[in-house]
Amino acid sequence: MRKGTLTVVMTIISFAIVTLYLSPFIWMIGVSFKPIGEWGASYFFPQNPTLRNYMELATGAVYGVRGHFPSIIPYLINSFVSSSINSILTTLLGAMIAYTIQRYRFGGTRLATWILSLRMIPPVAVMLPLVVIVKSLGVYDSVWGLILIYPLITLPLTTWLMIGAIKNVPRETDEAALVDGCTEVEAFFKIVLPQTSAGLAASATIAFIFSWSEFLIPLLLTQSTKGMTLTVYAAYFAQEYGVLWGPMSAAGVVIALPVIVFAIIVHKYLVKGLTLAA
Amino acid sequence: MTKLFSSNGYKINFLHAHRTFAFKFNRPFLAKTFKFADLHLKNMMRNLRRPVALLALPAVAFLILLVIYPTVYLWGMMFFSFHPARDPYPIFVGLSNFGILMRDSESWWSLLRTLLLMSMSVPIQIALGIFLAVLFTSKYTRGSLMLRVLILIPMMIPSVIIGLNWKTILYSHGPLNEFIKSIGLEPQAWLSAPFGNPSNTLICLAILDVWQWTPFITLAMVSAFESIPRDIYEAAYIDGASEFKIFRLITLPMSKSSFITILMLRVIDSLKIFDTVYALTYGGPGNATTTYPFYIFKTGFTLMSLYPSYGYTALLSIILLGVATALTTVIMKILKINEILWG
Repeated sequence: MRKGTLTVVMTIISFAIVTLYLSPFIWMIGVSFKPIGEWGASYFFPQNPTLRNYMELATGAVYGVRGHFPSIIPYLINSFVSSSINSILTTLLGAMIAYTIQRYRFGGTRLATWILSLRMIPPVAVMLPLVVIVKSLGVYDSVWGLILIYPLITLPLTTWLMIGAIKNVPRETDEAALVDGCTEVEAFFKIVLPQTSAGLAASATIAFIFSWSEFLIPLLLTQSTKGMTLTVYAAYFAQEYGVLWGPMSAAGVVIALPVIVFAIIVHKYLVKGLTLAA
Repeated sequence: MTKLFSSNGYKINFLHAHRTFAFKFNRPFLAKTFKFADLHLKNMMRNLRRPVALLALPAVAFLILLVIYPTVYLWGMMFFSFHPARDPYPIFVGLSNFGILMRDSESWWSLLRTLLLMSMSVPIQIALGIFLAVLFTSKYTRGSLMLRVLILIPMMIPSVIIGLNWKTILYSHGPLNEFIKSIGLEPQAWLSAPFGNPSNTLICLAILDVWQWTPFITLAMVSAFESIPRDIYEAAYIDGASEFKIFRLITLPMSKSSFITILMLRVIDSLKIFDTVYALTYGGPGNATTTYPFYIFKTGFTLMSLYPSYGYTALLSIILLGVATALTTVIMKILKINEILWG
């Protein structure tokens, strides 16, 4: 076979496989635009596309005897507030501890290894005490409780990413600052941190993605519109109104879309962070 | 007369074995030990006095609150019986939670189920993931970046959403069964196991897991393949090696350590499978898809358990933590942490 033909064939095969692979996701997008009569139909693209599912999701809706489902808006706000505050908080804390680890070997190899290994502990195993903590602090069922516990997931990740970012800043720059009379803390905030802005942005985005998709923590720490996030809303939706495929898929698209957009923006850092490469 | 060897390598007589003790804890040894500990302590204190340690403090405080305290709590709670709906305060019951663990066959079944799920999904993920990685990095494939970005999508969709999406797909009159019918096969009762095959539901979860995590292996292997120096390939081409031979003799051996890390990561991560179970099957039908994390959730946080007790939940959690820690230790042995951090 000639080289040009082989290129065309391989490229077409690759894109065909990937399209087939993504078909469940395409199906979800399709259903979210289908009017009520077409939800169960087995074709992917709606014949009479409608935005009604999204409108109903925003306002809440009544469906006969199945009762009504609540509007997505309060949950959206909860998710957004908790994820963005958490992403800023953990990125900053992660950068700070990453600096002391990378430049001053704070805690030695042992601390670094331990922090890295926290990324791998199953959160469900430590949730029992954390629920007790949150309840006794009086932040149960609020975004503050979530912000308090989310670092369990995101802090190891941001620390690890920021270690990589700070390693790329040449040591000479902050040494020069130290010689000029800065303290180590000043050198970090004034010299090192500004130079890691790409890494900071990436790790904040990744922290946002992970806290946005987190399910177990909000499931156990919230129970009403005061603190419940989108993922828990989606799970309850599937349990209570599982027959309403249209709004359910629309909720799925609304929840998944920001994460996918962010993930595509930072995909290089994401793969590095997830595979423990630095 | 029995001969013994002391830990110092000195050959000693059994009758004089007590001398080893004297030898081991003589003055220079003690002095050395204390000096070492003292040095350690001094270093630590000096480190803490440095203002730069202040930067690490908030993160360390968070980790103590979120990891150390819970672990201590779990180790303590293991010996108590307590459920907020039943008891006014925790009752010390000694080792009786271990007795419950022995009696409770469901906990062992759920552990076995988790392992079964892992052994179904991980090999398929690995095979499919490596296949896609080879396809994407082939020099004949154009648009490699686009492909990588597209394949990232399944991995990043929140697991709960994946669960509810697949719920519609696996529905008995859903698109999958329509497709199966259209190619002339028998439609399956995927999720409603009481009327069909009970093991189907676990297979559904495995399919979900494969769909969700194959991209992870693909992307990780792509970056592993790309970190192999180009000149090795060029040398092989000049020597006239075939594509297959290059793959088998250069690409595979050179990406072995990344492969092992990725495999271990997948094995550890499949101990966490919870969100998809919750959204797709809620552990059912019956207990057919109750994985170990879901069993912990059931015992600790719902009223569906036979043994609702924080103490028993703590014991189950400690077991899960133990398994995860053991596997994590292996991974940390493989990774060259020192090089990555300071290299």
